[in-house]
Amino acid sequence: MKELIKIYFEFFKIGAVTFGGGQAMLPIIQRELVTNLHWITMKNFLYFVSIAQVTPGPIAVNMATFIGYNMKGFWGAVIATFGVASPSFAIIVLIASVMHNLSKTAVYKAFISGVKPVIIALLISAIYLIVHGSFHSAVPFILAAIAFVVFVKFKINAFLLLIGMGTIGIFLIR
Amino acid sequence: MKSSKILKKLINLFKLTGIFFYIGLFTLGGGYAMVPLMKQEIVEKRKLLDADTFYEIFAISQVTPGPIAVNMATFIGYKESGILGSVFTTTGVVLPSLIIIILISLYFADAVKSVFVHRFFMGVLTGVVAEIAYLTLDVWKRSNVDTFYVIVFVLSLIEIFVIKLNPIYVILIGGALGVIFKTKEYMNERTH
Repeated sequence: MKELIKIYFEFFKIGAVTFGGGQAMLPIIQRELVTNLHWITMKNFLYFVSIAQVTPGPIAVNMATFIGYNMKGFWGAVIATFGVASPSFAIIVLIASVMHNLSKTAVYKAFISGVKPVIIALLISAIYLIVHGSFHSAVPFILAAIAFVVFVKFKINAFLLLIGMGTIGIFLIR
Repeated sequence: MKSSKILKKLINLFKLTGIFFYIGLFTLGGGYAMVPLMKQEIVEKRKLLDADTFYEIFAISQVTPGPIAVNMATFIGYKESGILGSVFTTTGVVLPSLIIIILISLYFADAVKSVFVHRFFMGVLTGVVAEIAYLTLDVWKRSNVDTFYVIVFVLSLIEIFVIKLNPIYVILIGGALGVIFKTKEYMNERTH
């Protein structure tokens, strides 16, 4: 029981200080759980990362589930997962509850109008990170271009597109 | 009469949970990769939000800590049915990971490491790139592109690629510039 509480708070802490989603969380998990607390070995950490990236769901949640399960079985996984999601949950509920009044203010509208162009830049950087990290030949570039045309023209389901591209990838990407 | 109302609310909650379970289950490639599917489900198919509100929540989800998917699920759940709604949607979005990872830990750990899975995932990433590219264009098209917009956009690119600033600061700088240069405009808008 005591250990489960510890797991909860450790993942709560990790969830609270991570901005910008899963990838940003990995170095923090490594520092806290591998280097400081020795809850998992470096080898296991890298192994978990490789799996958390190819399984469905947010990487941060996958990592928490994985490490929690590794430490304390089923309940460890549940507690770690809810630990990592708790801070976002609390903060977002707080924001959402004042959103109705907030969204009518000029300052809020001005803030959002400044954030919108940043979002475009961040999306471009997300594309760059994937291309830079994983596109090692001309094939993925061509596939991505085809996928783009198919997605825009035919408005197919986003998930089906990913599954389709994955299946093509098995045959074409070395 | 009253019990049928409660029943209706309950059915609605489970429907919402189902949508987010589906989104959590079918998100490959993490974070941003989830947004196009979410937009299709929430905006285009179910019409729970309009596109502008959706992108606004997307923006807010990046200035708050935690996984983007969880943030968006919580937000939309709250908007739909208050705190209970957010509990349901958040649970819905993390449940698939929980189930799948536990199953993998138990049975499939070696299968996941195979070269086929690797190639499959590389293929998935080409689709993710295509979808994010679409998203980028969609946000751009919906924006009111003026001089201020272009300046903040170029500045953000420099912050990200040249200075390599943490995204949270890039967002906060953009927001602050908005407050400094745009607040007056919005205040005037309201008096008209």
